[in-house]
Amino acid sequence: MKIVCSLFLIITCFSFSQNKQLLFGFTEIPQSSLVNPAIKLHNEWFVGVPLLSHIHAQAGSSGANVYDVFSDDNQSFTNKLRSAVYSMSENDFFSLNQQVELFAGGFSYGDSFVKTDYISFGLYQETDAIFYFPRDYAILAFEGNQTNIGRSFDLGHLNVKGEVISVLHVGYAKQINKMFSVGIRGKIYSSVLNFNSINNRGSFITSNGQNNFLRHDFNLDLEFQTSGLASLTNDDNSDVNNDFKTIGKRILFGGNLGLGFDIGLSYKLTDQWQLDASLLDVGFIRHSKDIENYKLEGEYTFEGINPIFPEAGEEQTAEEYWDEISDQFEDLFNVDSTNTTKYTTLRPVKLNAALSYSFGQKMDKECNCLSEESEYQNALGMQLFAIKRPKGPQIALTAAYYRRLIKGLRVKTSWTADSYSLTNLGIGAVANIGNVNLYFLADNLLKYGNLAKAQSVSLQLGLNYTVKRNEN
Amino acid sequence: MLKCLLKYWLFFGASCLLIISCVSDVNFEQAETLELTPIMESSLIFFERPAYSFLDEDGVETQTSQDTVRVELFSDDFFEDHLIKAEFLFEGINTIKRAYEAKIDFIDDEDVLHHTFTLNIPESVDNSEVLNEETVIFEGSTLDALLMSTQMVLTLTLFNSNDGTVIDENTPGNLRFRSKGTFYLNIEPF
Repeated sequence: MKIVCSLFLIITCFSFSQNKQLLFGFTEIPQSSLVNPAIKLHNEWFVGVPLLSHIHAQAGSSGANVYDVFSDDNQSFTNKLRSAVYSMSENDFFSLNQQVELFAGGFSYGDSFVKTDYISFGLYQETDAIFYFPRDYAILAFEGNQTNIGRSFDLGHLNVKGEVISVLHVGYAKQINKMFSVGIRGKIYSSVLNFNSINNRGSFITSNGQNNFLRHDFNLDLEFQTSGLASLTNDDNSDVNNDFKTIGKRILFGGNLGLGFDIGLSYKLTDQWQLDASLLDVGFIRHSKDIENYKLEGEYTFEGINPIFPEAGEEQTAEEYWDEISDQFEDLFNVDSTNTTKYTTLRPVKLNAALSYSFGQKMDKECNCLSEESEYQNALGMQLFAIKRPKGPQIALTAAYYRRLIKGLRVKTSWTADSYSLTNLGIGAVANIGNVNLYFLADNLLKYGNLAKAQSVSLQLGLNYTVKRNEN
Repeated sequence: MLKCLLKYWLFFGASCLLIISCVSDVNFEQAETLELTPIMESSLIFFERPAYSFLDEDGVETQTSQDTVRVELFSDDFFEDHLIKAEFLFEGINTIKRAYEAKIDFIDDEDVLHHTFTLNIPESVDNSEVLNEETVIFEGSTLDALLMSTQMVLTLTLFNSNDGTVIDENTPGNLRFRSKGTFYLNIEPF
């Protein structure tokens, strides 16, 4: 009960997506180089405060929200869940993303007076999961097959994948000229655990039979791949500390390894117009250790049991006949868990692109004129985010406004339309207090009165120690 | 000083956002009241026997024939926990000029009889289809009887004809038997 309940909570409450629309292009935050390796960071060098430099959690459901199902309104829970089930399609999803940076740092360098190169690096842990709503399974559980004669229940609706990984990365950003910067970040992934069931097919149909009232057709082709789970769940010891030790080792590259990269560019079209784009997590993880796969495969048609009546002189005895049917059913529903075939997973590739327009230079108080080095105080931007998911890409569009409020304090607000909601308002602020760089970004502000009513929630915060550039 | 205050105020505001944000008016405990009530239907027994199949090796009419079908499904824990009612529909379609009785005994592994049911299938005077169907409802004590059963014994009895004719190899017609079960479940997963 507890496990199922927690799982449900995790899936419905803390479901996450990966859009970091507030962080993208927010160059005062060192971690913005994680969403575009090309950006020019404003510091000479920085170190992230270990475990606190970047904490990210984002939650959302494209279908029903927590309040729809769990509101404390004395209505029947079963009815509320049923309404939620019928309101969602098999393309609705709950997804989950969480990141914690274990350490991070970066420094600028270059031959010329203006340092044009920047190296950044770090290690972060990430959890990413997506769970598509298995609609036909849910309807079968609610209704059964009696009212669904002739309907094909699509067993392919089971579509879920998830992983816990650590990522060690080094990025290199180069400013080619005043207008154009490029960047690349190499990544080594270490998978702590992975599960994956995204290519399921099959159906279950009850139709009117020829020899009997009903005919049941089973067509199963289901597979669930796991790595890193078997050793955690099968071990005899119940000591959780041992499991934590194992997980710790895997975070430090004892897991299944993979490689990947991010690329990005930043291009100033004019003095005021700027284009930023990045492609993140183009990479794979090869799962070869601690594999346990489950497979359910077979076809069977059942119209009932046809008694032999041994008196009628049939050769097969009734018992043999029964054994045959029984074997066929057992074969059909026998989950093969002996399969330890290695497999490869691709990381969810993410695309970010933004076009922004800066305006409003600050007047110099002393001369009542624009100083030469005066930077624009505002920027308006349109951003596009896309992530590759098992059933196709998910896209989000954001309009953002950036403002330098006072020296050392910048804010960015955003309005995002995505699979979760069309009216997601977000706000973020970064403050540089001395050498301390502190930031806070939050999504879906309209729902903060009651998070349960939100389709998605996201939060990022972090603390860095930065040293400013001396370029002027 | 003012700027510094503003800075801190904003971050204070942001932190407040975190604190005031709440999940209210929700109750996760209610998941325990979840009740799924699917109705599952499954084919049970069927057969089709031509008239001549009621002859023994010597060509003599057999009055009774019997077969046993194992149905361990009924005694399965899942059914025991979640089955609240079952309905079995039996149907006989006869085109033979003889009346039949199909008796179904529900017995356990020790051959103890828990329930019995008989379906009469009238004769077909002119070899046209004669149909009889009946529904058996298992509820309360009869449901308990069903859940204790592991086998269904099907006994077919051929009644004597009114005019004294017996079945031979050329007797036309056949006897069809169909059945299905409707299972009313109540599942409280939590």
